Amino acid sequence: MSMLYEFEGKLLFKDSKIPIPRIKIYTDTESIKQFAEEIGRDTMMAKGQALAGGRGKAGLIKKVTIDTAEEYIKSIIGREHKGKPVAAVMLEELVEITKEYYLALMLDNKSGSYLMLASTMGGIDIEDVADNHPSEIHRTLLPINIDPQTYHFMELGKKMGFKAKTLTQFASICVKMFLMAIKHDLTLIEINPLVITPDDKLIAADSKVVIDGNSYFRQPAIAALQSQRDQHTELEYEATQAGISYVQLDGDIGIIAGGAGLSMTTCDLLEFYGSSPANFLDVGGGANDEKVYKALELLSKMDIKGICVNFFAGITRCDDVANGIISANKKLNINVPLVIRMIGTKDVEGIKILEENEIHAYTKMEPSVQKIVELVKGGN
Amino acid sequence: MAVLIDKSTKVIVQGMTGKQGSFHARSMIEYGTQVVAGVTPGKGGQEVLGVPIYDTMKEAVDATQATASVVFIPAPFVYSAALEAIDSGVELLTIITEGVPVRDTARIRRRVYEQNITLVGPNCPGIITPGEAKIGIIPGAICTKGNVGIVSRSGTLTYEIIQNLTLSGYGQSTCIGLGGDPVRGIDFKESLRLFEQDPETKHIVLVGEIGGTGEQEAAQLVKEEISKPVYGFIAGNGTWVKPGKQMGHAGAIVHGKSGTAQEKLRILNEAGILTAHTPSEIPNIIKENM
Repeated sequence: MSMLYEFEGKLLFKDSKIPIPRIKIYTDTESIKQFAEEIGRDTMMAKGQALAGGRGKAGLIKKVTIDTAEEYIKSIIGREHKGKPVAAVMLEELVEITKEYYLALMLDNKSGSYLMLASTMGGIDIEDVADNHPSEIHRTLLPINIDPQTYHFMELGKKMGFKAKTLTQFASICVKMFLMAIKHDLTLIEINPLVITPDDKLIAADSKVVIDGNSYFRQPAIAALQSQRDQHTELEYEATQAGISYVQLDGDIGIIAGGAGLSMTTCDLLEFYGSSPANFLDVGGGANDEKVYKALELLSKMDIKGICVNFFAGITRCDDVANGIISANKKLNINVPLVIRMIGTKDVEGIKILEENEIHAYTKMEPSVQKIVELVKGGN
Repeated sequence: MAVLIDKSTKVIVQGMTGKQGSFHARSMIEYGTQVVAGVTPGKGGQEVLGVPIYDTMKEAVDATQATASVVFIPAPFVYSAALEAIDSGVELLTIITEGVPVRDTARIRRRVYEQNITLVGPNCPGIITPGEAKIGIIPGAICTKGNVGIVSRSGTLTYEIIQNLTLSGYGQSTCIGLGGDPVRGIDFKESLRLFEQDPETKHIVLVGEIGGTGEQEAAQLVKEEISKPVYGFIAGNGTWVKPGKQMGHAGAIVHGKSGTAQEKLRILNEAGILTAHTPSEIPNIIKENM
């Protein structure tokens, strides 16, 4: 589940022959001039690129001229938008719009099928349309193994009010979206708005594209895009590179757990007993001592008041976990309370290793979480 | 017989010559599971742990009449391995592998539905019927035979809950690990139906987490069809959860209100399902309800 920048999505549209306005990424003053020349106009749109919605409302999209563009761009680039940086600014030619529509293709988890959503109410948040005008959203469910043809989308196009040439254009865009989703393992392609121009051309004026992160191994070009790096904070990226699932949170106590469910439950219990987690961290099944060390290294870079380690070892071995903790404790500067809980495969050996190094280990989860909360609250 | 598997189930391990496959095949055999064959293309004719290896699923099924297969194969090759299993005629297919592209899983699931095969997983710990057999990686030592059916989206959290139940004297009929992916084979609903029909199961524990709507659908089914008492636990029930952020499992991600643990708990409670705050509370709420 990983979002692309608008411009990256639009470049994929272009590759897939879905019509888009002419675009260029801003690099310097010269790039603005070049673009103005290319489109033959002094006026253009400047669109801040950030991996979060609501950019228009936040003032990150504006009509500019060749003279005002640079000042505006410099005022938004690097700005934070919903916790994400405005990483770049895209210049885009102005499009004359007769009407705005909504069109999206998604892989529907519940049915395991592709779902095409279309609405004549475009340019606004689709959740608002779903809440307030549910009858204005048209749906077509298509099997996952579909070989998409234009006839599959004629009915949907008619419900949208398209006729003659625009109807076939619409159906053809739908087919291209499918081919693009299949080719690149995309779980969402949203065009909001899809606009129609006075000369009856349909154009994708925006893009929201999400790729299935599990498919990186066969989508190297997308995996290498800037957005895929920018999804993560620095620590999150470092964790990803080490094969660790890590999400930065806002609380006091750093956690390390084996397994996603147990990691979430550890976070829940910290809150239940009156504290808060500083992160979610799942080292994954079969973690070795190096991975546990790496996890503690990540935590040592955070501003936290305590560390809570929780393993129910199935394919992981507690002696590996213990060895990772011991070497981290020796090499890293861990100066906050550390409470360890481990049970399961090789737990007797793991606990022995810890005790030889004068570290106590709990075997039950709830008391261990209560203990770290108590230590942190006690100010130790 | 509890559900899905028992000691008479004949199992093929796909990827048995690999590191993961051989390790877990050994533990399945030690637990008493009838592992009758392994399949690794190009390694037919070998033996691993005294079990014959075949090049293809068809050869393995023809030779052993196995009805179940379990996949321990790296994610890029799971799609092909699963199709081969489906074409070979097995009735139960379990995929342990994590990181399978969602489009591959969705295509596998479609084939499985068309041919009336049960798919468990992917990205799951598998199934165990304590005292009889296990398919997958759930540690046998923490389980004990009994009458609590467990169905869960998690791995290690399920072990935690199994152990709490075992230590409190509540054995298990069967534990089913559904897996942590957004598109998966059998879900809570199908599992609840299996437990409802199973004479050995007297109580059902449902372990959910943030993301998706499987728990809500289960709650609806409990109201309509399930007569046995159902207990629930949902991971991710804190205020710390960030919408749009994936918490380890590919399926553990909140989009809008419906995917939150709070909403799931509300709907479970509304359906009369008692829910626990902590894993260790689960045996207590079963006891209080008896």
